[in-house]
Amino acid sequence: MKKKSVLALILAVLAVFMLLSACAKSETGAPQDGQTPDAGESKIDPNKETIVFGGSRSISGVYAFFEQSAYGPIYKMWVDEVNADGGLYVEEYGKKMPIELKVYDDTSDLSTMTRMLEKAIVEDNVDFILPPVSTAFLYAAAPIANKYGKVLMGAEGGSATLKESIAQYPYFFSSLNFSDTQVPALVDILKEEDIKSAYIVFIEDLHGTEYSGAAIPALANAGIDVKGVKSVPADIQDMTSIINDAISTGADAFLCMTYPDQGYLALNQSISMNYNPKIWFMGSGGGFSSIVDIFGNDVVEGIMSWGAWNTKSSEACKDYFDRFYARYKDDPNVSYDYWGLVHYYAGLQCVQEAIEKTGTLDNAKVRDYLANNHFTTVLGDTWFENNMIAPECFMGNVGQWQNGIFEVIDRSSKATSDPIVPKPEWPAA
Amino acid sequence: MKLINEYKANPKKLILPVLVAALLVLLGLSPNFTKPYATIMLGTIMMYIILSLSWNMFSGATGYVSLATAAFFGVGVYVSAFFGSSLSLPLLMLMGGIFSFVIAFLVGAVTLRLRGVYFTIFTLGIVKLLEQLMLYLEITFNKTRGRFVVSYTFTEVFYWLFILMILVILLSVFIKRTRFGLALKCIAEGEDAAMHIGIGSTMVKILAFAISSFAMGAAGAAMATRWTYIDPYIAFSTNLSFLPVLMVIFGGGRHVFGPLIGAVVFAYIQELLITDFPYVYMLAFGVIMIVSIIFMPNGIVGVIENIVGRIKKAKGGRKNADP
Repeated sequence: MKKKSVLALILAVLAVFMLLSACAKSETGAPQDGQTPDAGESKIDPNKETIVFGGSRSISGVYAFFEQSAYGPIYKMWVDEVNADGGLYVEEYGKKMPIELKVYDDTSDLSTMTRMLEKAIVEDNVDFILPPVSTAFLYAAAPIANKYGKVLMGAEGGSATLKESIAQYPYFFSSLNFSDTQVPALVDILKEEDIKSAYIVFIEDLHGTEYSGAAIPALANAGIDVKGVKSVPADIQDMTSIINDAISTGADAFLCMTYPDQGYLALNQSISMNYNPKIWFMGSGGGFSSIVDIFGNDVVEGIMSWGAWNTKSSEACKDYFDRFYARYKDDPNVSYDYWGLVHYYAGLQCVQEAIEKTGTLDNAKVRDYLANNHFTTVLGDTWFENNMIAPECFMGNVGQWQNGIFEVIDRSSKATSDPIVPKPEWPAA
Repeated sequence: MKLINEYKANPKKLILPVLVAALLVLLGLSPNFTKPYATIMLGTIMMYIILSLSWNMFSGATGYVSLATAAFFGVGVYVSAFFGSSLSLPLLMLMGGIFSFVIAFLVGAVTLRLRGVYFTIFTLGIVKLLEQLMLYLEITFNKTRGRFVVSYTFTEVFYWLFILMILVILLSVFIKRTRFGLALKCIAEGEDAAMHIGIGSTMVKILAFAISSFAMGAAGAAMATRWTYIDPYIAFSTNLSFLPVLMVIFGGGRHVFGPLIGAVVFAYIQELLITDFPYVYMLAFGVIMIVSIIFMPNGIVGVIENIVGRIKKAKGGRKNADP
């Protein structure tokens, strides 16, 4: 009888909470999903001394590489630079306020990321949020940022194909260039260099799908014959059969639209199989300095990749690189990314300028300012169009390693060198 | 009336039901008096409780170690991704549960003739199979990898997970006390012997496998609305296959409340380490797990049972020693 009574009581409680759940209200003042929060007056605490930037980053797990080597070193340097200058001047507080970081580890797990990001917002009451790592995490963070009315300046990740979906999240800004400008730039180069055929390898994820999906029709329209398309999983260990297939097609260009792990594997095996097409193109990671550290200047000579910028792009780029190098030259984990490094920093500079110009920590006002104004950043004059950084701001879309420099080879005024085609032979072993 | 008279005669009998009810009331009312993040955290803990109890419902009972939790959870996630804009949250959870049930039933019919490590490896294979199938379908037909999921407030998700959790607890208790539960126990102790005494072991296993997967799918459908963006790797993350197993080991699988306690303590330790010791989280977590398995082979519940047993023994010893 005792057991039955326990069950009866539990069922009664269950019934009560079914009723309660039906009447559940949304959480404490948070705007409903899909709604833009009110741009109301921010509460000013005269005792507030710091501006807190926080959020969830992948300190451990499979994406830890990015925190260690990509955006991580950049936002930490930016914070130190701002604080060395006394902080950001916020007019409504009438003083300069240093930046304080409150970063949680999401262990490269999406559910942990969403939870930690909400913890930073609702429990720690951070003033501004940092973006999480990777495209998927960024897109999961966008609705959360929008719900709480927090500016989310994206860093590692993003996608051109999701522009329409992202449009419903006005607090999300993207600071990186993607396939919609990079693929046409690459196809222009191939066409100009009289490339007749190409072989495409892409990684089975959003990045690879998007880039190969854009490249295949663009190459066909340019009269370049796509002789083979192969997808590879992220954990591929051997690409010899794919390279053999590429060799058998005799394609002029080998386009490896993957991440560093797969790209470096393909490069290594191309060398060992002496596969040296006129164009050897590597996707993400091809413009990282780590490729030179691993393979050496002679091997990477002529390799192309997405990007792109270098110290010749502008005085601001050179100054930024020098500061970055001075700070991290002794850190073996930090890589110099000639695609995202300037974009991520420019995104932070935009947020900084927006806070100082609006003189408030009110995210709604900062968001509006970001969306409607021009900024002076490491990229020069910088602005956003539909929350995506304007194509005119890019330093370049395609780069090529030439004498240890990742040269910008777009057919545009921002090019720092002409392409070298065909690429040189692999150095003798 | 008979019940009331019984309680009047022995008021001590009221302690357990009142305690359980009070705890549930406290948990259910918690969104009204705790900080918002506590509600978010409790929602995650309830998800783990649901997964570990569901896992234990089949694997703990039969001894067949299934690593397919992520597969059924992922099915629920995709139900929310596909139907989120047209169905309410409870319907999404129901649909996620039904889809998972059907898939588990079909998979179980094919695989539950396998035993031991072959079954375990096969269930892990199901996770990868569904992950790769979704990846292929998304890339081929959707031309992208991930998709947004309609989002619900954490209070709504909390209450529906709370209801699901109570149902899973009740179901776990109920199954243990039925002939069906007894059949599962017989299978665990000797499947051939169970068949000899007339238990249709294959059908019993298939049914238990499918029933346990229902809650996994429903939990996946609810949690997807908190994640807001998913792709096949996120939906079918093998973490969700292994974590419930660890939680059951941590809490102890012999008692219904073992997985529950394991999930709560496990999730709390995880949270504490992530937030306060992010750079040593994995190391500290690994050490805690190794130490727990070495020194608590029957989980936290086993330790409690041990302590209670020793106290009773000591009391009994003193009584016997009295002249």
